[in-house]
Amino acid sequence: MSEHIGEADAVHDKLPPADFYDPVIEAYKKDVDRTLLRENLKLTVEQRLQKFASFSKYAQELRGAAWRSAVKESNHGR
Amino acid sequence: MGANFPEILPLLLRHGVRFVLIGGGAATVHGSARLTLDVDVVYARDPDNLKRLVAALSPCQPYLRGAPPGLPFRWDERTIQSGLNFTLTTTLGDLDLLGEVTGGGNYEQLLPFTQELSAFGISCRVVTLERLIQLKRAAGRPKDLEIIAELQALLEERRKIEPSRGG
Repeated sequence: MSEHIGEADAVHDKLPPADFYDPVIEAYKKDVDRTLLRENLKLTVEQRLQKFASFSKYAQELRGAAWRSAVKESNHGR
Repeated sequence: MGANFPEILPLLLRHGVRFVLIGGGAATVHGSARLTLDVDVVYARDPDNLKRLVAALSPCQPYLRGAPPGLPFRWDERTIQSGLNFTLTTTLGDLDLLGEVTGGGNYEQLLPFTQELSAFGISCRVVTLERLIQLKRAAGRPKDLEIIAELQALLEERRKIEPSRGG
């Protein structure tokens, strides 16, 4: 266990700052929809989690609908 | 199923488990617009905390995610002590229990880089946005590049509205 801690300490010291400039990340950043982030930043933490839960539920329902539709199509083809 | 924060986090807290929320859950807390499918936490590995983890999760039938069914997997202190990082399925959803995280170390080492999260009547520790970015970068996974870009954009947007917060 102590070996792990030693390794982790060493890594801690080497970590670049959070705003470290990386051209690869900058390229990806161009595709980030900042309007979504700005809207989220206006919310409280509780509201962000509620929004996540509601979106998650919606995504789950969509997946279920897609699966049922695929099964139905498959049964029709037989 | 999306990450089940509303049930998993209170369960761990009710049993007094010491942990830090990291990963997609922490990103959501900080304002990320991404959907995450599991809950990632770094847990303290002292014997008392392992006991609490066992007690908290035992009723949820934890099992190794992706492993074939029927393996002799026992959720007890000995198993946790023998391992370190566990990717689990539970009846409440997927849960990643990490004894250590690349770039962040263990629970005690990560603790100074956390803030309190209070929501839905509970309160737990969540890794700061700055440290989350550093952890994602340290992980070195290609799949994280888009996420790091989003988190950095989030940091920039946050600094625009809270310039005194720095970073």
